[in-house]
Amino acid sequence: MKSNPKKNKTSLKKYWWVALLLAAAVAAPFFISEFYLTIFGEALIMSLLALSFNLLFGYMGQLSFGQAAFYGISGYTVAMLITKAHFNFWLSLGAGVVVAAALGLIIGFFCVRLRGIYFSILTLAFAQLIYFVIYKWHDFTGGDDGIQGVYPPDFLNSSIHYYFFILIVFILATFILWRIVNSPFGYTLKSMRENSERTEFLGISIAKYQLTAFVIAAAYAGLAGALWAPFYRSMAPSALFWLKSAEPVNAAILGGPSLFFGPIFGMFIMTFFHAWVLAYTVFWAFIMGILILIVIFLLPGGMLGFVQEKIKERRENRNPTTGIN
Amino acid sequence: MAFDVLFNQFMSGIARAAILFLVASGLSLTFGVLRVLNFAHGSLYMLGAFLTYSIWKFLLIPSLGFYLALILASLIMGAIGLLIEWLLLRRIYSRGWPEQLLATYAIILLITDLVKWGWGGEFLSIPRPEPFTGAVSMFGFPFPSYNFFIILLGLGLVFFLWWLVYRTRLGDIIRAAATDREMVSALGIPIPWLFTWIFVLGALIAGMSGAVAAPFGAIRLGMDVEIIIECFAVVVIGGMGSLPGTLLGSFIIGEVYSFGIMYKPELALAFIFIVMAIVLIIRPWGFFGRPER
Repeated sequence: MKSNPKKNKTSLKKYWWVALLLAAAVAAPFFISEFYLTIFGEALIMSLLALSFNLLFGYMGQLSFGQAAFYGISGYTVAMLITKAHFNFWLSLGAGVVVAAALGLIIGFFCVRLRGIYFSILTLAFAQLIYFVIYKWHDFTGGDDGIQGVYPPDFLNSSIHYYFFILIVFILATFILWRIVNSPFGYTLKSMRENSERTEFLGISIAKYQLTAFVIAAAYAGLAGALWAPFYRSMAPSALFWLKSAEPVNAAILGGPSLFFGPIFGMFIMTFFHAWVLAYTVFWAFIMGILILIVIFLLPGGMLGFVQEKIKERRENRNPTTGIN
Repeated sequence: MAFDVLFNQFMSGIARAAILFLVASGLSLTFGVLRVLNFAHGSLYMLGAFLTYSIWKFLLIPSLGFYLALILASLIMGAIGLLIEWLLLRRIYSRGWPEQLLATYAIILLITDLVKWGWGGEFLSIPRPEPFTGAVSMFGFPFPSYNFFIILLGLGLVFFLWWLVYRTRLGDIIRAAATDREMVSALGIPIPWLFTWIFVLGALIAGMSGAVAAPFGAIRLGMDVEIIIECFAVVVIGGMGSLPGTLLGSFIIGEVYSFGIMYKPELALAFIFIVMAIVLIIRPWGFFGRPER
């Protein structure tokens, strides 16, 4: 990773575990079975969706219940361009992200005027609207049959190659988002979460900033969808259903929405847990429900938030003189 | 278009509006007092329908069985509501609304799998009870007489809730709590007690609506998700927590759906979301709601 010259050594040292995880992700294909490699790839793609959600929720304080719309519309764009128009693979992926961002601009224009639960419901309404259009427009989208045969180019066809492709895109996208949330723009979003009135008094146009964040989030959800279609070789309307929108919400809450890496952590737990539980029981939803309740009641800051808290406590116990951060 | 066709469509819209009102009124009531948007309200409705089926099957009384099952299922759902409020909701009233929403979302997941486990995945159905088995001719169109039962029950609930909210002491407390919770508490009224019973009433109404809907369409998994999103549309249009608003919202959504089906069947549900989006954009707090903060 490129180092920021303004930051001193200790702040980079803090992220040694990121390097460790990256090394593990690169080494993973040589140690784990093909089945778990697929799950790993899925978790990486879905983490992008979770990051997209958390840019709005964790940083801006708006809970979107419609991220699946951008994810799905991009996946469909890619799938249809590749299977029907025989478009270039890279251009198709780009087109998917652009379409998602454009949709984000339209939907966001209306949504960013609302706050709290009304924002959630309006994003949900728009997402369901797009879901129904795709689901019912059988001649164009294939309706509930979906679209099959979305193949990546030959050199990405093997699961290991596509896995590395996902990994590279994931690292780049995550790094860019990390820079975005730690830029003045990111801090402005946070200040709106804390006190939107005060932020407005500073002369900042809330609607403009929120719309920008909404479009970025839509593009990230679109990126996840664009990676997903050739990964799964198909697209189905369920990718736009509101239960899909609930997945990043769950991931963020499970992992910890106040931390940048929280949603990624939550999504990895969810995806692997899902694959593992399904081997034993079909009642995945029940277990997921219990898991959400446990986190809400016992670990209010999310799992990663809990871990961070514990580490902080231990550090403070070790050298109590540096109690003030 | 001929008047009789339109009238027939209008009447089916009314029947749909009545079902929507049955479900959405409970949702709106809980939101109005507890300020918790109960995502799981549709799941309580679904569980009510499945319970009605099982009780009806167990009783095996041809005509009276359904009505008995309706009452029993409603009471059981009330008890389940008590359990949910007591075990879960009561502990998170002080938290932010996103966590409350997530907790009720978790309840959806639990109930979905409970139903899957208890009843399996297949479609179940109950025949329409006497004396509502036949159809009435209206301008030459057959109109199921069971729809009249639904409409009557919907009207009954409208009057009951109106009486409860505007004509009783509990209603005074409900309206006061919806406006200023701290003040009500300061006057010595136990808020936790009020919250518990309002949630139980909401769950009971949800169970009853599920029972009423059971002979109306198939009893199946997924009916919870379908109805809850439509109910969101209803309460958003009418204004969350408002009784007259819920009535108006149900009417609008019921009719939009009914005429939407006539105009373009595959997009009937999409029309609902368009109407909802328009209202949210122009008047986010709905026709009868109050702007927040």
